[in-house]
Order: sequence, then structure tokens, then C-alpha cells
Amino acid sequence: MVLEKAILKEFQDILGVENINDGEVMTNAYAYNWCMEIFNYMEGKEPIPFSPIPKAVVLPSTTEEVQSVVKLCNKYNIKFKAQSTGLGPWNQPSTDNSIIIDLRRMNKIVKIDTKNLYAVVEPYVSGAQLQAEIMKHGLNCHMPGAGPQVSPLASATSMNGPGFTSPSTGHSARNVLGVEWVLPDGEIMRLGSVGLKNNPDWFNGDGPGPSLRGIMRGWAGAKSGIGVFTRVSVKLFPYPCSTEFKLDGCSPDYDFDIPDFMRVYVMDCNKFDYLEKAMLRIEEEEISFMCSHLSGFAVMAIFALNIEGLMDKMALGSMKVPLVVIITARTNREFDYKQKVMSMILEEMKLTNIIGTLYTPDPIFYAEALRSNLGLHGFIATGGFQSTKGVCDTAAVCLQSTKRNIPLKKEYIKKGVIVNDFGEGHWMTSYESGHYYHVESPTPFDQTDADSVEGMAEYMEASNQMDLLKHIGAPFFVEGDRMHELFGPHMSNYHIWLRKIKQAFDPNNIADSGFYISAQEEKEE
Amino acid sequence: MIKACLRCSICKWIPQVQIKSQKYATACPAIDMYNFHPYSGGRKIILALALEMGRIKPSEELRDIVYKCTECGNCAVSCKFLNILEPLEIMMKLREKLVEAGFGPMPKQQEYIEAVKKVNNPYNEPHETRMKWLPEDIKIDQDAKILYYIGCTSSYRRKEMAISAARIMKAAGISFNILQDDEFCCGSPILRTGDITSFEELLNRNLDVIESKGIETIVFNCAGCYDTFKVDYPLYRKYKFRVLHTVELFEELIESGQLNLTNEIPLTVTYHDPCHLGRNAERYEEWDGDVVDLMPMISINMPPKPRRTGSKGIYNAPRNILRKIPGVRLVEMERIKEYAYCCGAGAGVKSAFPELALFAAKNRIEEAEDTGADTLVSACPFCSTNLQDGISERSSKLKYYDISELLLMSLGLEPEKLKKAIAEVA
Repeated sequence: MVLEKAILKEFQDILGVENINDGEVMTNAYAYNWCMEIFNYMEGKEPIPFSPIPKAVVLPSTTEEVQSVVKLCNKYNIKFKAQSTGLGPWNQPSTDNSIIIDLRRMNKIVKIDTKNLYAVVEPYVSGAQLQAEIMKHGLNCHMPGAGPQVSPLASATSMNGPGFTSPSTGHSARNVLGVEWVLPDGEIMRLGSVGLKNNPDWFNGDGPGPSLRGIMRGWAGAKSGIGVFTRVSVKLFPYPCSTEFKLDGCSPDYDFDIPDFMRVYVMDCNKFDYLEKAMLRIEEEEISFMCSHLSGFAVMAIFALNIEGLMDKMALGSMKVPLVVIITARTNREFDYKQKVMSMILEEMKLTNIIGTLYTPDPIFYAEALRSNLGLHGFIATGGFQSTKGVCDTAAVCLQSTKRNIPLKKEYIKKGVIVNDFGEGHWMTSYESGHYYHVESPTPFDQTDADSVEGMAEYMEASNQMDLLKHIGAPFFVEGDRMHELFGPHMSNYHIWLRKIKQAFDPNNIADSGFYISAQEEKEE
Repeated sequence: MIKACLRCSICKWIPQVQIKSQKYATACPAIDMYNFHPYSGGRKIILALALEMGRIKPSEELRDIVYKCTECGNCAVSCKFLNILEPLEIMMKLREKLVEAGFGPMPKQQEYIEAVKKVNNPYNEPHETRMKWLPEDIKIDQDAKILYYIGCTSSYRRKEMAISAARIMKAAGISFNILQDDEFCCGSPILRTGDITSFEELLNRNLDVIESKGIETIVFNCAGCYDTFKVDYPLYRKYKFRVLHTVELFEELIESGQLNLTNEIPLTVTYHDPCHLGRNAERYEEWDGDVVDLMPMISINMPPKPRRTGSKGIYNAPRNILRKIPGVRLVEMERIKEYAYCCGAGAGVKSAFPELALFAAKNRIEEAEDTGADTLVSACPFCSTNLQDGISERSSKLKYYDISELLLMSLGLEPEKLKKAIAEVA
């Protein structure tokens, strides 16, 4: 369904002819995304990796252009779906009466405040770009598990946001400060201290007046279902060690000068109860840069660059309940202290670090850990994976979720539709030195095989149902009307309030709600 | 493979661990210029899938997207840091499909293909003037087992490169042959457009001629010819001779003492890695292993299958040469070696989409300027032309030399050129 010529002309007048395209090839290409086939299957559609085709794709370069585009959408009752770096089905339109607002041309680092430790970025600044610039000031930023190539703005405003460095860099939801937001009716709202009438600045995310951060993103973001975020301020952190970053050789076999004060520990906690104790104990000391539990299979994967690279890592793969900890420091004294604390804990808990004895990582592992690239290793087994779960709670609840999921996962492994990780393929990290925890269940499958896609989708549905019935927290992918209406009644009827927010902020129902909540209940539509 | 793109956008950036600044983080000139995602490497995979599924058909719209790509392969390097997809190869197949369907190549590219068929070079220059670059003092040894293959661009457009390489070989006492009237286009500009039939005709003709002369080694000063002979020809027809780029030969000659670099060249230079000499100059290695199923959905290659990751490009030879030239100080750009940013000229882009070629060149020139160098050096006539166009377009103060010209100056063979270079930099 293409745009009428007169409407196309109005978009062109706003953006310039070269920044809107409604061609068949262009729009079809934008209809594709990773895991779309799973979500299509879950919605009873053909399991293909294509969403409805957008009517057009627009490339605004300023907040004002976004505002004008959104107003035009309101005028002609055309929905919009905004995307930045665009990874995942959440970036896809749910109807063919939608355009895609590709924010790629909004790619400026607006400000780096080294004193107050925040940076203001536009949507298409990637995590790696931001990190490269702030490293020059001895600073670091949080990046989600999706990797350094994705947008910190998208993660901070519109997605979930756990990352491998979460013990030291927190959670995207907690790192967002000031926000510039084009509402679905085209008004511009500025949240936090950037919304102040006098001396607006980006240092605080709450106020003026009541804080709207919860409405803006809630637990896992609205995926553009409540407007377009055009600038955001995110917290910065001290870089964990020396910012000297020297790689030699060629991709992918880079050699890396491991910083002086950086050490990896991999221990087998053997049982989940003991893992909980170990994570709590280590995080209590607030010394870790990274503190993650992964299955033996996943630990092998984070240390390997390809599938063949898994073969010499059996010492890691045979661990029952592994725990990976990285400590870093900026001075010898700090490093000495942290190592002593780790030694004390290992002794106290009778844990053995196998790094340096049974296994020695390649130096590139350290580089990838510092540049938050480890999450992408989830793809090396089959080329495709997706997560279930997504619990954000105490370590005990996270592990409860993990333990309950194992038998379920084994059922689908038995069917041969997902990879055999013995059901134990989980990733659990602490947030903010153990103040709370995250767990998800990454599962490799074959996205090129229809049986595997359908099996994976069925497993995800079953996992969601289990989370609901066993009351072990809302998973990541409670998105769209069907899921909100499934989970809402079990969770204080939050979906009613979410819908009221949608109605208040989007009176014309113009922001595409495919991965949020629609303004009206489905039956009323 | 075309079903497996993650749409992760890794292909739009240089390898993530190599990103040193926001400004020079990107890998792909096409997506940098045109911004819509289908211009990226990953989206070419998606277009191939959409075509395969019948969601789109060959069309002028598809052609314009597919041909706005220099086939530099930087997307593939980034993708293959962890993944196993081949965006460059899929891209080349897409062009073949478009040619088969009657939509490719671009009209300007078709013009130069016709020129190659008519006068054996894409510049539509008379064949009989091909050897006009050859100075009288350079003697050709008809019995030599080393063949100097000049290529169309050096013969007609970058004669200084053709001459420099010949003089350097002469200075080192190397006897070499030249095909003269028998030298035709290597076929690279045709191959990159997807016109495989025309390319194969040329390839067979060239190999027949070369093999009839008992050549043991071919030396190329053109990175494009070198890559085409080294990597692409063996995919269609095997041959036994050795292929060398001049930088490889010159490095050997310096190491063996056959070239004595005496003259000081007080220049601060930065080196641009041509795609055809760098990441794309990596041969497809034969593999005779087994695919072993470890468990459902997971299999491995035993022994591991060699992967083309860009790591076997010619990166050290030019740098070693530059370091050996007295007075030259080498400073590096941010994007180098296997993840060097493309000059913008390749795969027919210079003729079909000159605005894209110039966009990429200007981007690269800015990166070179940011190193503080006064001189940009490379080793490809195509890069030379496009980068010099970029210098001119940006009104940049950078000087450009082919690496062979610097060698020539250091050998004291063109003192006037050296004086001019130093004066201009000063």
C-alpha cells in the first residue's frame, strides 16, 4: 500500500526528495528483521522473517523534522514506527498503514559532560562510537547484551537493557537521564532537568514536576509505541582500567595488549544454591567489572570466535554451574586489593579459578569484554538465537526461574528443534554490584529451518506461560495486546493503566503499537 | 546463507573492537552516503532473500541499489569477525542475477564493457597507443620469465605508475617481458559488474597468451589486475605461474640488497590500503574436509575450513618499504589494513556513480589529513585517480604519490620529482 502522491510530496517537502523512499525494493528490505519469523509464527502468521511492508521509509535529521513527520502522520492517519540501529522485530511495523522513521541521520554526540558524568546522544550514535569518544576522557558507558553496535538511546528509552558489564554499569532503564521526546501527536516533551524553563540541562532524569520516566519507558520500553526519542542523556562511569587499547594482527585473530590491572576468574559453583551464595558474596564486595553465570556451553562460546573454536574449551564446557568474574582496576593498589578480596572469597567458599591453569583465554577476550562485544557470541553455534525469560529480581528468583526452565527446555531439545545445551543455557548477571539480578535463557536455534523456527516459537510460548503460571516474573517479550492482556490480569492489571497511558499520549492512535499496547482493546477494534 | 542475516548492523561498522572514534567508525561508503539500509552489506543479503522468495523482482530500483556498492568487502570483514555470512559474495551473485535478467550492468558500465570488447580497454582508447607510456630507455626481454602486466589504468591514465615500476625493476637488474600488443584488459571492471560471460572470454584469452610464453611470474602494479589474476582467475581456470604485486617484489628487492635506497625523502606519509591489494587479495583456499554433525543444528568442519577474513591481504610489504625509505615517517590512519575504508572507485562505481566515488574519496582524504601527514601514498592506479580527485575536490593540501614513485625518488632516479615534492610539502 503505497503513499498517495500528494502525501508523498508533503513528506518530501519536509525532508527533501532524497530522504524519503517508497519503492518496492526499499520498503521490502525494511520489512525484514531478525526473529521476525518467530513472532509471526506466535501471532498465527506465516513464519517468514518479514513484517508488513511499510508504506515508505523516511530519514529525518532533526527533532523538528521528526515532529513534522509525526504531525503529517496524524493528519493523514498513517502510523509510524521509529527505529535507530534497528536490531530485532520490535523495529518492524505491525500494519501496512505505517511508515518507518529511520533515525540514522540523527547521529550526533551532542555533549559529553566529564564532570557530571553524562553524555547526550542522538538515536544513531552506537555504543561503540560513544565509548570510543568517552574513553578519551577515561570514561565508560553501559551497553546492552545486544552489543556495541546498537544505539544507547534505543536501549535507554525503548528496550530492556542488561549487559555483561551490568555489575559496574547498571541497566539501561536506570541510566537514562534527560530525554527529548516527540510525542505521538507531534508535541515535543523534555523530561528531567532538560525540561526546566530556566537553565535547562541534561543531568537529571526526574521532574520538573512528576517524573515521567516510568511512563516514558516502564519496564521494557514502548518500542516506538509512544512516540520518538530524539535525544537522551545517559550516565557515564569511570573506565575500569587503563584506556590504552592496542590490537595487533588482523581480524578475527587479533592480539591484544591486556591491560595491567585486569583479571578473569571462571569457577564451577557446581550447584545453583551455591552459585547464588557466591554471586551475592562477590557482589557484596563491589569489586567486579563483570559477574555472570552462564551455562558451560555458553562459557565456551564467549571465549571462542567460531564454532570450531569451541573444541579446545572442554574444560569450560564440562563445568556444571560456572561463574565468570572479571575484576579491573586503575591502580596497582586497587588491583591488589580486589585480587586479595577474590582470593579470600575463593578460599572461604572453596572455589577454584581455572583461568591460568586449566584454561587461558586468548587476549582478544579481554578486548571484547572491555568493548561489550561478548553478547554477540551467542550466534556462533547456529547463527541464530533468541532469549526467553528476562527476569529482573533477586538472585533467588532468577535462579528459581532458571531451575524451572530446564525441564521445559529439555522437552524441546528432545524434539530436536533447539540446540542441546542440556537445558542449562542461561545468562545471569548482577546489576549494580548485586543490588538486583537479571536472568534470561538464550537459546540457539536454526533460523533457516522451518521446524526449528516453529519449535523455538512454541518453546518461547511455553516458557512465557510457565513464567505466568508459576509467578516467576514477566519475561522480556510481553509485548503487544495479546501478551499484555495475558499477563496484565496476573500483575495488578497493569495493562489497563498502560492502555490509559497510550490513550492519553496518543489520542489518534498513530504510533504503531505492535510491540506496545494499542489504544483500544482488540475486541473493540 | 541468505536466510541468516541478523540485521545486526555490524556490517556498517569496522570491527567493533577497532573503533577508535565516532568520526571514523564506519565501514561502508554506500550506506554512509545514501543512508537507507538496503545500501549496507547485510541488506544486500536481505534483498537476495526477497528476490529468492519472489517478494521483489529484478527492476531498475533493485539495480540502482545493488550497483551503488564498490564491492570493497569491508562489510564482509566485520561480519566475519564472529559470523560466517558472505555479504560480498552474495552481492556479486545479485549482480550476476541482474545481468541475467537484463537489468545489469548500469548503462555507463555497459559502455566500458563494449569498449573493452572493441579496443581491449575500458577507457575506449586506441589499442595501438597502449604502450605509449614505455620510455625508450626501458628494454624489454622477450625471453624473460617475468612478465610485467601493466593494466589499462596505468597504461592510459596513470602512466607515472607504469613507468616508475619499470624503472625500479630496471634499477634492480630485473629482466622482464611485456605483452605489448597482446596485453588486454584483465577483466576486473567487467567481472565486478556481474557480466561473467564477457569476463570469462577475456580470462581465457589472457591465460592462453600468457601460458604460450612460458611465463613463470607476473608482476602487477595495479591492485585490481593483481586481485583478479590472483583470486578470481583460479575460480574459473587454474594456472601455474606466480603472481606478485610490485610492492611484494620491491620489498624482496630491498631485502636482498638489489635496491639501494639512498636519497632522503623528508615526508610524513600515510598509507591507504587498496581493497584489491588488501582484504580482497586473499585466495580461496581449497578444502577437502568433512562436515561433522556434533548434535542437531551444530556441525563443524574437520579440519577447520579456511575462511576469507581479510587477514591474508598484502599489508606489511608496502609498510616495510615505506619504513625503509630514508626520511619517510609513516603515520597510520584509523581505518587500515583489513578494515581500511575504500577509496570509492571500485566495481564500476567511478563510472556509474561518480558522486559516490567522490564522497568516499573525500571521506578518506579527511581521514588522511587527520593523521597530520603531508603525503598520501597508495599502490593502485584506480585508488590513485580517485583519491587525487578527492584531494582536488576538498582542496586538500595533501600530496599524493604512488609508492613506486617514492621508491624512485629514493633511488635517485627522478631527482626533479623529489625536489618538487619536498618544495610542495614545505
